Amino acid sequence: MIQGALRRFGYMLLGVGIVLPISPARADTPPGILVVVQAMDDLVSLDPAEGFELSSEQLFGSIYQRLVQADPADPATLQPVLAASWAAGDNGRSLTFTLRAGATFANGDPVRADDVIYSLSRAVKLNRSPAFILNELGWTADNIDAQLVSVDATHVCISWPASVSPEFALHILTTTVASIVDKREVLAHQQDGDQGNRWLKTHSAGSGPFRIRRYVSREALVLDANPSSPGVAPRIKTLIIRNIADAATRRLLLEVGDADIARDLGPDQFTALKGKPNIRIAQFPSATVCYLLFNTTDRSNPALANPAFWQAARWLVDYRGLAEDLLQGQFSVHQAFLADGFPGALDDTPYHFDPARAKAVLAKAGLDHDIDLTLDVFNEEPFIDIAQSLQSSFAQAGIHLHLRIEAGAEVYARLRSRTYQAAWLYWIPDYFDAHSTASAFASNPEQGSHTLAWRAGWSIPELSAETQQAVMSSDPAERLRLYRDIQRKVQSDSPFVIALQQRSQLAMRSNVRGYRQGLDADMVYYDQVTK
Amino acid sequence: MTMATQRLSTLFFRHAAPATLLRIAATSVLSLALTLAGLLAVTFAMSALSPIDPALQQVGDHASAATYAQARHALDLDAPLPERFVHYLDRLCHGDLGVSTATGQPVLGELREVFPATFELSTIALLLSAMAGVGLALLSARWPGSWIDSVIRIISLLGSSVPIFWLGLVALALFYAHWHWAGGPGRLDDAYEYTIDMPSGLVLVDSWHSGMPGAFASAVKHMLLPVLLLASYVLGSIARLTRTALLGELHQEYVTLARAKGAGSSWILLHHVLPNCAGPMLTVIALAYTNLLQGAVLTETVFARPGLGRYLTNALFYGDVPAILGATLVLGIAFILINGTTDMLVRLLDPRQR
Repeated sequence: MIQGALRRFGYMLLGVGIVLPISPARADTPPGILVVVQAMDDLVSLDPAEGFELSSEQLFGSIYQRLVQADPADPATLQPVLAASWAAGDNGRSLTFTLRAGATFANGDPVRADDVIYSLSRAVKLNRSPAFILNELGWTADNIDAQLVSVDATHVCISWPASVSPEFALHILTTTVASIVDKREVLAHQQDGDQGNRWLKTHSAGSGPFRIRRYVSREALVLDANPSSPGVAPRIKTLIIRNIADAATRRLLLEVGDADIARDLGPDQFTALKGKPNIRIAQFPSATVCYLLFNTTDRSNPALANPAFWQAARWLVDYRGLAEDLLQGQFSVHQAFLADGFPGALDDTPYHFDPARAKAVLAKAGLDHDIDLTLDVFNEEPFIDIAQSLQSSFAQAGIHLHLRIEAGAEVYARLRSRTYQAAWLYWIPDYFDAHSTASAFASNPEQGSHTLAWRAGWSIPELSAETQQAVMSSDPAERLRLYRDIQRKVQSDSPFVIALQQRSQLAMRSNVRGYRQGLDADMVYYDQVTK
Repeated sequence: MTMATQRLSTLFFRHAAPATLLRIAATSVLSLALTLAGLLAVTFAMSALSPIDPALQQVGDHASAATYAQARHALDLDAPLPERFVHYLDRLCHGDLGVSTATGQPVLGELREVFPATFELSTIALLLSAMAGVGLALLSARWPGSWIDSVIRIISLLGSSVPIFWLGLVALALFYAHWHWAGGPGRLDDAYEYTIDMPSGLVLVDSWHSGMPGAFASAVKHMLLPVLLLASYVLGSIARLTRTALLGELHQEYVTLARAKGAGSSWILLHHVLPNCAGPMLTVIALAYTNLLQGAVLTETVFARPGLGRYLTNALFYGDVPAILGATLVLGIAFILINGTTDMLVRLLDPRQR
């Protein structure tokens, strides 16, 4: 027996010896299989009621569906997906959905009104990271059951106690936390009353164009096409998302042909890939907006609460230098809180780098002395580079920024306790409605949540009321007018200096066609990809 | 016992009485247990006092206050620090390492997946570097000051001074991307990667047993570069330190006596000097092993191999206390075992140390 094993080992070694020197690397990934390489170490959960990281958000759209979703071609338009149609109730606080006839989950179970009710109620009751989005409708664990009524097997009536319009409610229902899961399947995997949460972290029970075949934690996610997915028929058979932590390694995999799409590459990687045969660089708009925030409650530095200081700061950011030279097109200049592409977004850029003007503003306000500030920055690129640029441009008006580079959780902890002076941050809207962003930048209710305006210590009772009025309005045109007005006010006089909007770039093999990506993190579409 | 092993054991383990062996083993075990307890207390305190808020890390900055409070409670963060440590020890005694806050999976299961990968890579790299390192050291000591010695010194210096991260990327660019001689990032080609079951977690063993022709070859191809890189990383220190020990020994009187009796230089080096250097050599190799186990993190990152080093680094980034403690515990046990065993062996080998 030992001899047999030894002989086998000998043959194997011989095989390895022959294969190693002569085997050519594959020029392409196997047909029907799309291999995406990206950093996926942030992934916490693939349960749509829990996952709220960039990686999971980018995947939910492929695995789960909602009643209504943004049209990939025009995200401002909603299209029915698991619903066939909907009608608003007379009181303006409810919607009745007719479910799509014959819709099934990937395992063949029919999509019923009961699944819709279970999914929404489950997400509210589990109360994990993204649950706050559903809380916007006034839903809580105690009242949710009364808000969701099954009219019959194919009709479901959804109502809400919050003073928000049906249009706003529809946008909330497009978010990934409102994904519809298969109640029967989920409950079959329930452990200790966890609503199947432990199982769904690594498995799927949805109706999207793909279903999870295997998830190897921190290594890879393998998805199989779900040909029965309502409304979409994926063109590839298998989608493999590989977690490759290092950007340079991702670039190599793409160049060799062992990957079809590479995400999260840096400016230097894109520069190196430009002009390479078989590689195409695609660019998509992104709703991520970068801004500078000042803490007006900081007693040690009264200048921070002075509107003249905010005004001077707007002339001290080298917008164009950052966007074009430092970040080489990965960001564009944008100076309003609603990202370009959102309905109602302001696209004018009234500020530019002008240190002389900043000095004049400071002198007029009696601030023409050296000012020292600590600037908190995330310990990631490109934020550190941006902060260094700010350091040099602000120094030209005598404002000395001392960088404190920390992990994200540490920066957020300082913001939440208001123990910072200034911070360079980014904002990603939680759902595709202006209120998501407006309620953060332009609302600081007396006893409300700790919005960005609260973190700045910015007291704005009138602006908060206007923001509330905008979300309550059921007239779309009126809403847009109000949001434009609110943006102008924040742009001209606030402790926020909004400076840049991200452009999402990714590199792919030139034979990959049909990949689509929208403004929000969850608008990643693999279903029409061919290669 | 064959003649050869008998000779070897009398050559190395001279005159060790069973009582002495037992005493050495008992004191070693006691010191291991104390070190482990201390290690856990320090790691726990450091994780708990770090400014990273694990609850905030888990739920994100946008979550509601109620969600945040619920997460704090679920993570046992609302209990006083000593109480949390007691809870942790209690669960540990029941074989429960807790649930990772970053992935929501049991830490024990995750460690069972990642440790074999690091163990496999480090052990193969160690075997390779120990054999090559001692061989190079012998050549250097046999002809000190010669051109061979200089060449070996340069190789050793390069291995230990060039950043492993950079070397890894260059190796990938040349041997994988340009010449296609070696496998790329990952442990297997995509064709096998997600079809082979990994019951042992050791890719060479599992691909061998998979019955799929080509899987084993694919595993070896993917292992070539990381193993060579890790081996070169510790080769330098093993070769240099062994060479110093050998040269030091060559000036001893017993060498002069052997020479006077007519023994050749190579014979003296292999039969007299080498066995006498076994103690320092073992220590150097053990140190290299511990370095490999923890130092594989950059290699694991560049070559996209899921291992303990990368697991611990991720856990640290996310303030994932149960994962940090679990990984530290495994590393700690490995270190203590390696050091303890080395210590014991050195004492057995050298009667002066008993």
